[in-house]
Amino acid sequence: MNAVPATRPTPAIGTAPATAAGLSRDQALDIYYYLRLTRTLEERLVALYRQTKVIGGLYRSLGQEGESVATAYALERGRNKDILSPLIRNLGSLLVMGAKPVEILRQYMAKANSPTRGREQNVHFNDLEKGYLGQISHLGDMIPVMAGIALTFKLRREPRVGLVYIGDGGTSTGSFHEGLNFAAVQRLPMIIIGEYNHWAYSTPPEKQFAVKDLAEKAKGYGIPAVTVDGNDVFAVYEATKFAAERARRGKGVHFIEVKTYRRKGHAEHDDQHYVPAGEIDRWAAENDPVDRYVARLQEQGMAAPDDLTDIDDRIRVEVDQATDACVDEPLPEGESALPDVYVDPPAADKLWFRTL
Amino acid sequence: MAPPEITFLEALRQGLWEEMERDESVFILGEDVGLYGGAFKVTDGFAKRFGEARVIDTPISEAAIVGAAAGAAHMGMRPVAEMQFIDFISCAYDMLTNYVATARYRAGLSTPIVVRGPCGGYVRGGPFHSQNPEAAFFHTPGLKIVYPSTARDAKGLIKSSIRDPDPVLYLEHKWLYRRIKEQLPEGEEVLTPIGEARLAREGKDLSIVTYGATVWKSLEAAQLLEKEDQLSVEVLDLRTLLPLDDAAIMRSVQKTNKVLIVHEDTRTGGLAGEITARINEQAFEFLDGPIMRVTAHDVPLPYAPTLEDFVLPQTEDIVKAARWLANY
Amino acid sequence: MARVDVLMPQMGESIAEGTLSKWLKKVGDAVKRDEPLFEISTDKVDAEIPAPAAGVLAEIKVQEGQTVPVQTLVAVLETEKAAAGRPDGPTAVQATPAAPTPAARPSDRPADVRPSGRPADGGGVATAEQRLRTKSTPLVRKIAAEHQVDISRIPGSGFAGRVTKQDILGYIERAPADAPAHRAPPTAHPGGAIEHPAVEPWPGDRVEPWSKIRKITADHMIQSRRTSAHVASFFEVDYTRVAQLRAKAKEKVTFLAFIAKACAENLRKHPVVNAAVSGDRTIYRADINIGIAVALDWGLIVPVIKHADELSLTGIARAIADLGERARTKKLSPDDIQRGTFTITNPGGFGPYAGIPIINQPQVAILGVGAIEKRPKVVTLPDGSDTIAVRTMGMLTMSYDHRVVDGADADKFLADVKTMLQEFPEGAA
Repeated sequence: MNAVPATRPTPAIGTAPATAAGLSRDQALDIYYYLRLTRTLEERLVALYRQTKVIGGLYRSLGQEGESVATAYALERGRNKDILSPLIRNLGSLLVMGAKPVEILRQYMAKANSPTRGREQNVHFNDLEKGYLGQISHLGDMIPVMAGIALTFKLRREPRVGLVYIGDGGTSTGSFHEGLNFAAVQRLPMIIIGEYNHWAYSTPPEKQFAVKDLAEKAKGYGIPAVTVDGNDVFAVYEATKFAAERARRGKGVHFIEVKTYRRKGHAEHDDQHYVPAGEIDRWAAENDPVDRYVARLQEQGMAAPDDLTDIDDRIRVEVDQATDACVDEPLPEGESALPDVYVDPPAADKLWFRTL
Repeated sequence: MAPPEITFLEALRQGLWEEMERDESVFILGEDVGLYGGAFKVTDGFAKRFGEARVIDTPISEAAIVGAAAGAAHMGMRPVAEMQFIDFISCAYDMLTNYVATARYRAGLSTPIVVRGPCGGYVRGGPFHSQNPEAAFFHTPGLKIVYPSTARDAKGLIKSSIRDPDPVLYLEHKWLYRRIKEQLPEGEEVLTPIGEARLAREGKDLSIVTYGATVWKSLEAAQLLEKEDQLSVEVLDLRTLLPLDDAAIMRSVQKTNKVLIVHEDTRTGGLAGEITARINEQAFEFLDGPIMRVTAHDVPLPYAPTLEDFVLPQTEDIVKAARWLANY
Repeated sequence: MARVDVLMPQMGESIAEGTLSKWLKKVGDAVKRDEPLFEISTDKVDAEIPAPAAGVLAEIKVQEGQTVPVQTLVAVLETEKAAAGRPDGPTAVQATPAAPTPAARPSDRPADVRPSGRPADGGGVATAEQRLRTKSTPLVRKIAAEHQVDISRIPGSGFAGRVTKQDILGYIERAPADAPAHRAPPTAHPGGAIEHPAVEPWPGDRVEPWSKIRKITADHMIQSRRTSAHVASFFEVDYTRVAQLRAKAKEKVTFLAFIAKACAENLRKHPVVNAAVSGDRTIYRADINIGIAVALDWGLIVPVIKHADELSLTGIARAIADLGERARTKKLSPDDIQRGTFTITNPGGFGPYAGIPIINQPQVAILGVGAIEKRPKVVTLPDGSDTIAVRTMGMLTMSYDHRVVDGADADKFLADVKTMLQEFPEGAA
């Protein structure tokens, strides 16, 4: 029988400083915007998925938006600043780095105008200038790749940082370990966010690894590692900020484990029958990152309820407009599948039987 | 009363189940195969019946899954390793090609493992959930590769693979999982011999040599060609890719004298090239036309339906190619 | 600018029309002189037709697949300059394709006008080999070799006028009607064309060119001599019992029918005699199909009794009569002269004591029947004493191919045939 305990405790919410984590009021509201945008955009994607507009799978980040947004927000953003590599459930990170909702929508709907022109799906796309590099389905592969990006920062003496996400399940792959060790040995300006969200598809942590915390794995490679409450936006922001500054000063790799919870199935088709009864509801009721963040903002007088509803309304309009802008766009022309396998030759051969 | 129709997936499941019942040394390991029953529910109910000790949920560690299977096999166990999607078998490439494939030849080690997993496109899976990895392993002496296209062979080949003394890569096309239905006799031991192709359709004008999902597309094309062109098209379902059933291929070539090889994998370095060479070596004088290929285009498999449809071989492509070859 | 007409050439003297099988250039394409413009297919040959001059392909008058009479305007080229320097201008084009044999080339043909072929390869006539490679497939070449068919004679219905399996099988089926070549034993030319040395006629001699059938027979005979290691065995047969059975029979049954029946009955026991040679392999024929050589006023033809071993004596007799009759009235179907596995030639009617026949390729044995007549013969009486008796006697001669049939094989077969003829069972009649 599955030995996953019911609702697992989350770290206690500490006493907030006057200006939480050094964030200004505008910044704090900005973070709220991204949290809400992530959630609203995903809800739109679910609708589109059910309308068969979204093709293939749909993967939600419900319950994990806090750590996605907070980690990205702690980076230096803008043209040619820090670079991160988001996982399927880091839609929030992508948005913070400057990806537009319309781009996300087009990606999921495989439109001709999507960033990958229909070749790739969901968050698998890049803009290295804005600072994001999509992952592939093979988990762990982006750890060494991000090490290479950070290695370039180091070689060029640029004060830039690379950040890469890995799920609890992903830490079981060989690439994760090779990449982590490589980055540690090279003292690269790199941050690894280990997302302990309790489920790798249907597999709980105790079937995935025998350590208690993912941070222990990083420590084994000589990498400083902390475990933070992943649903506490301020805590995640602070930890990432600290790691980023440290990396920028040439102090090497940092590993941040964020404890959070995946409240949706692996994908929309997963009925989550393996989850102990009540666990999801309890996390939703007691430990939702957005609810907690809103409560903190209000406690500290950083936001009035009206501020937040204004943002919510703005987001709804924004997501509607983005959807309207692209939902009826065409899919790519079939033959556009051929170019870009190489620089040269510029396109793959169209096979003989297509010319009959 | 006739037995009920079962799906390709259910047939595979039955085969696994029967072997688990028959032989205690058979066990399953893979990601989410236990309580969850596998991403495609192939092992649904297995953990309950056979216990979690014989249906092992593993970490996301393909190299470890295959490597551990190999070690257990050396010790007399019969492991069946599942790749959640066959696209992830690349993570175990080193283990399969360097260790497993060479073990018998190099060191006299018995490694009767089965590595199985869902492969193939036509399902909008994008570049990492649609692959056909056979060519990489086809080039590896020491592995066997089977690729059933019917429910009967899904069952017959999993059972034969488990009993086979050598490592077998068992490829199951996810597009067939629930599309293909067949009545299988109850109480009969279904064993499909490894290394034997199946004549899926008899014909005299032209042979289509194929495997996997394109068997069905070829059959569809053959029906159309019979109706519209009065062409009699033979369809040979290879079933086992390694070792290839040369005799069956040559029989068909000698009969129809024209060969179209169809596969879903990309063209360059695909199996069609090797099959072409063998026909050339063994039946050149029986050819009444060039050996032609209908394959995927040489690009990674894209996600958008329009792109995927363009890249992958379709029934219409087979029809046109066969027509062209028939008129050659 | 000048316009140069390109015409459908006459590829051989008997050719009236040609099919344009494929355009190699499009309107507007620049062409070099002698660069292939299009491919044609005629009853005789397939060929690429080179551009008569450098220029631009201005007009296409005949589309792919169209069959037009020779000399039809096929295309127009626009050239840079007038076709000066060509004594006969566009008419040079008409001379473009050479007749198949070099001897037929008009000696006054302008030197710069090439026959079909690939200038890129250095020019020259497309060899039979090139034509085979471009216009047929391995299977077709193999069938052609087995049936001694010249592929270039067959109109191709396939891609670019290619001869397909159906084309060649159809051609072989229709052979007697369409191709006189197949009324006689087919020719085989593995060693190249058969050359019959020229002989100077003397004054007053009449010189008659060979008919097709004569030519083919001549070639085949030489080819067979070249191919097989001919050895002959002679057996004397006492036909007295056969003569008695013939006298008793209600229907007229020839000696030949009895001999054919005896062969049919015994070939199964001696499969190496019912065989063919292919390269360095022996093909043991599953069927027993006995060819019976028939001499006609216009030549020799060998209709075949199919599955002779399944016929009764009367059945064989009727088959022989029927085939002979149809041969004389030219009513044989293509099938009637194909797939022989063993041949009997019966010149005995003309009176020879014995003869040594030439093997009908690719078979390995041929039986010659000598005159059957009453001769004195020493016979042993039941009491053991010898006496001379009048018996109906005749010689059987068999030529066989010693590459695969050894003397013992041949003689055992003949001995069995002889025994059967001498002790011909009542039931078999």
